[in-house]
Amino acid sequence: MAPIIRVENLHYTYQPENSQPVPALLGIDLTVEQGEYLVILGHNGSGKSTLAKHLNALLLPTRGEVWVKEWNTKDKSHLRDIRSTVGMVFQTPDNQLVATIVEEDVAFGPENLGLPHDEIVRRVDWSLERVDMSSFRHRAPHLLSGGQKQRICIAGTLAMKPQVLVLDESTAMLDPLGRREVLDVARRLNREEGVTVVAITHHMDEAVEADRIVVMEAGRIVLQGAPREIFGQAGRLRELQMDVPQVTQLATALSQRVPGFPHDLFTVSELVSAVEQRVTNRDGSTVEPTSAGEAASHGEAVIAIRGLGHFYMRDTPLEVKAIEGVNVEVYAGEILGIIGHTGSGKSTIIQHFNGLMRPHEGEATIFGQDMRSPNADVMTIRRRVGLVFQQPEAQLFEHYVGDDVAYGPRNLKLSREEVRERVRRAMEAVGLGFEEFKDRLTFALSGGQMRRVALAGVLALEPEVLVLDEPTSGLDPRGREQLFERILALRERGITLVIISHNMEELARVCHRVCVISEGQVVMTGTPGAVFGRAQFLHEMGLGVPGVTDVVSQLQSKGVIQEASVALTVPQAAEMLAKVLQ
Amino acid sequence: MSENFELLRNVTIGQYIPTGSVVHRLDPRAKILAFLCILLAVSFSNKVVPVAVLLIAILLISQVSRIPASYVLRGIVLGFPVLALVFALQFIFQGRAEPAGRIYFEWGWFRITRFSLQLISVGVIRIICFIFLTSLVTMTSTITELTHGVESLLKPFRRFGVPSHELALINMIALRFVPTLAEEMERVMKAQASRGGEIGQQRFWRPDKAARAYLPLIVPLFLNGLRRAEDLVWAMEARCYMGGDARTKFVVLKSDRRDYWVVAAILAFSVFVVWFRWPALRDLLAMIGIAGL
Repeated sequence: MAPIIRVENLHYTYQPENSQPVPALLGIDLTVEQGEYLVILGHNGSGKSTLAKHLNALLLPTRGEVWVKEWNTKDKSHLRDIRSTVGMVFQTPDNQLVATIVEEDVAFGPENLGLPHDEIVRRVDWSLERVDMSSFRHRAPHLLSGGQKQRICIAGTLAMKPQVLVLDESTAMLDPLGRREVLDVARRLNREEGVTVVAITHHMDEAVEADRIVVMEAGRIVLQGAPREIFGQAGRLRELQMDVPQVTQLATALSQRVPGFPHDLFTVSELVSAVEQRVTNRDGSTVEPTSAGEAASHGEAVIAIRGLGHFYMRDTPLEVKAIEGVNVEVYAGEILGIIGHTGSGKSTIIQHFNGLMRPHEGEATIFGQDMRSPNADVMTIRRRVGLVFQQPEAQLFEHYVGDDVAYGPRNLKLSREEVRERVRRAMEAVGLGFEEFKDRLTFALSGGQMRRVALAGVLALEPEVLVLDEPTSGLDPRGREQLFERILALRERGITLVIISHNMEELARVCHRVCVISEGQVVMTGTPGAVFGRAQFLHEMGLGVPGVTDVVSQLQSKGVIQEASVALTVPQAAEMLAKVLQ
Repeated sequence: MSENFELLRNVTIGQYIPTGSVVHRLDPRAKILAFLCILLAVSFSNKVVPVAVLLIAILLISQVSRIPASYVLRGIVLGFPVLALVFALQFIFQGRAEPAGRIYFEWGWFRITRFSLQLISVGVIRIICFIFLTSLVTMTSTITELTHGVESLLKPFRRFGVPSHELALINMIALRFVPTLAEEMERVMKAQASRGGEIGQQRFWRPDKAARAYLPLIVPLFLNGLRRAEDLVWAMEARCYMGGDARTKFVVLKSDRRDYWVVAAILAFSVFVVWFRWPALRDLLAMIGIAGL
């Protein structure tokens, strides 16, 4: 069968007439076969999104050709054919929805194609069913979750009956549950409807089930092949700073200690069965994982929340109770991790940590101040408890980096020298040289750098507690790792950290305590061992556990591992498994 | 210091409230026409009694729609500072307007006259009417219904160069992003407040400082708005949007006899209110025993 998309020697340059043209693609050759599931991996700036936009003629090549079926994308007369053959879903679901009602948004594509009314209705019904959103057809999109919105975007594309579905980082903004929803839909469409899928991502774990993987770096394709071939090249991947799945890291670590152990495993079940095959003598008794459970000696509780309740749209017909009966403490000097789905009430809870919200029910005591009292000194609380929102770079406003970081200290009415000193310290704490960056234009920075500037802006207030809402979300693996290390280093300066994250592996590694939030309530608080040891419980809530924890706990329940402790990191798990395998 | 960052709570215009009333089920075109009739009637009446009659009629309609009046009135809170300023200025300067009628209070150059009182009462009632009217229309019809209604009503003017479809689409997208941008504004306000920013708490006699204090809010909103617009263009193009005439429609509006009756009744009522010579307020008050105004 002829390939459905052919890309031949594609070059693309942004602003070619400008004095500083930006070359983005430097000679891409790629074919997409009918019915395949292709994943394109790469860091931010590798050119993967630019490539995606060529696949349906949103961008036209500076040099080279792109063919969709028998149509060249440069041929304007086939534009409608090309775009209805290759459907595309982008990163931010909010920015793709045009209508105020789900079904009308799905109808937008077919309306543009000029289809008769009955056919539009049929297609809307069909597409909503394919993405499991039929019962939401009369809802307003802004009231849906991220994963649901993104499924609506997919339905809107499906309604044009495309043969290819391009997902341009469509999971980057979603929480794990939303990601799962979108990936499941994509996979099902691929298998059941025969839709060719091209998924662009920087999450390696999304590539595991692909038919073929293409890795891009600096405008070129650097690796190409089936997942097994790609994951086999661990050294090359590390060079490219791709995030290798934790399970693969574990397999690699084991293959170095246990001769003959395969190094290219990438799912939990593969690793579990590989270990099972190699362990012959087991006594069949199963072990319940128990955490070592040394409850960290608590310092003083700087934030204490008791029986907290909060309503949204209070006193309106749309009133909703967001959280109820919440008890949380934050102790001086600890790292507290908070996990839970988007919409579980995490953000509402942390907004009580610095007095942005006042308790509607229950109490909040922050640094000894009762937040129920109207006289509470909120300004002081906000200085002592810094709060960094999701994607904080969206709140930058000053022309120059230095000025933006100085916004906080200036609000404190400090002297010029003190402001300057604080800006210097804050910028250096996030790894931005003061002299080098203070006069740089804020909006010319890369995404990762802008996020650091925003973080510095809060650090410049010199808070004692720093609350971070998904500090690394949306960054590529390289940026994520670097930023996370910087954040951990803050603790050495005596800052208490509260980190909300979906990345269980990060939290398991660094937290002293983890707090699990579900449906507006705290359902569990404890050491990472105690929390992640209850994998079953977390799975029921749709939350994951680190891959290595999962491997070890499955082997424990099968009686392969007798040691009862919970593995939280790759070295811990490798240690436990090596003992069994030798 | 009490703060309220929950902006969505106060943006009542543009929020659809599905109570399933009769008003909700009307054809949006009928609603728009009826709305225009009352709007014109409110604009053309310049005495207290007729605008009050119109306000009562509007309140009755909101009763029938099962929309709580207190919720609608919250929309006024947002615009309150501007309204207060406008009325204060009118109060100060219209006192000198002639014919002033009876003078209730005089202090040097400043005076309160029957004319200025009437002007301000009519003004206040009108504003409340306007807010109620617009809120009622948007609360009882989805934005898409309205958009389709406007598009359909403007269609006859297409031959005179009125881009009815484009206007409708612009309208729909603008309204679609109201809640999104309100959420975003809330987030930015909170983030800047977390950095010790005091947006909107400057002294009013330093408007320069107050304006400057809004920059941390406005700059991110604008930049993010532009970014969203750019994304939206990509997404619309990817879904084959090429504008104009070849498009077909998913939503087909149907109107029945009830819709015609409603428009006819509202039209008749509006004409009547404007045309009827209503007795003056002081005569009405005199009738119930409050004399001497």
